[in-house]
Amino acid sequence: MTLTNATFVIERVLDAAPTRVFAAYQTLEAKSAWFKAPADIETLNRDFDFRVGGAERFHARWPGGMTTDFQAVYHDIVENERIILVYDMFHNGDKLSVSLLTIEFRAEGGKTRLIHTEQGSYLVGGEEAAKGREHGTTWHIDNLVALMEGREMKAFS
Amino acid sequence: MVERLSLSPASVTELARPMPMTLSAVVQHLKILEEAGLVKSEKLGRVRTCTLEIQAMTQVERWIAERKRFWDKQYDQLEAYLARTTPEGDDQK
Repeated sequence: MTLTNATFVIERVLDAAPTRVFAAYQTLEAKSAWFKAPADIETLNRDFDFRVGGAERFHARWPGGMTTDFQAVYHDIVENERIILVYDMFHNGDKLSVSLLTIEFRAEGGKTRLIHTEQGSYLVGGEEAAKGREHGTTWHIDNLVALMEGREMKAFS
Repeated sequence: MVERLSLSPASVTELARPMPMTLSAVVQHLKILEEAGLVKSEKLGRVRTCTLEIQAMTQVERWIAERKRFWDKQYDQLEAYLARTTPEGDDQK
């Protein structure tokens, strides 16, 4: 198992004031309206406790049988301004990453600039990564570039 | 570009030379690779040297890309949610 530390940022300008964007994170009802999986998944565990020290969990089984488990703890919440949480991500019970996620909401006219900064410790890789490197590289670069240019990625394989 | 870097580190100018792209397109491309953590660059005087971060590749990068894709999708859904719940006149709080 290898360890890789990496940071990425996603920025979005949302057509709503920070109060409305923040509200979309505040209750399970609002959050469930957008923070969800696209496919017909089976929800195994769903916890939601939006306060500092509170936990959120979204544990689900996908049609192919794979399970994903998002386990978060809120570390800082400033109404209409920011949310800081730490989350672990599991696939089929294996912990693949631990991330410190800061979400900032900045008012821009009547809109909100959402800045998602994720500092992660990624736990996948190791021997398998070394073996797959040569063959995987091209696939990889293509998809990363596609991803960052907003195009569709090629299938995972 | 990645192929060239897999041989040895190179300056931006060296990388751009055989490319059918403008220098600024090459710089843009490198920026994407750098943000993805695949390439590291260091400026010494006026020369910026790029190095391939080969260890970080494959599975882990795939996973990071997957995390980004996941959040991008969630924010698409957040945008759609905000659009369909537009309040009537109480947006100026």
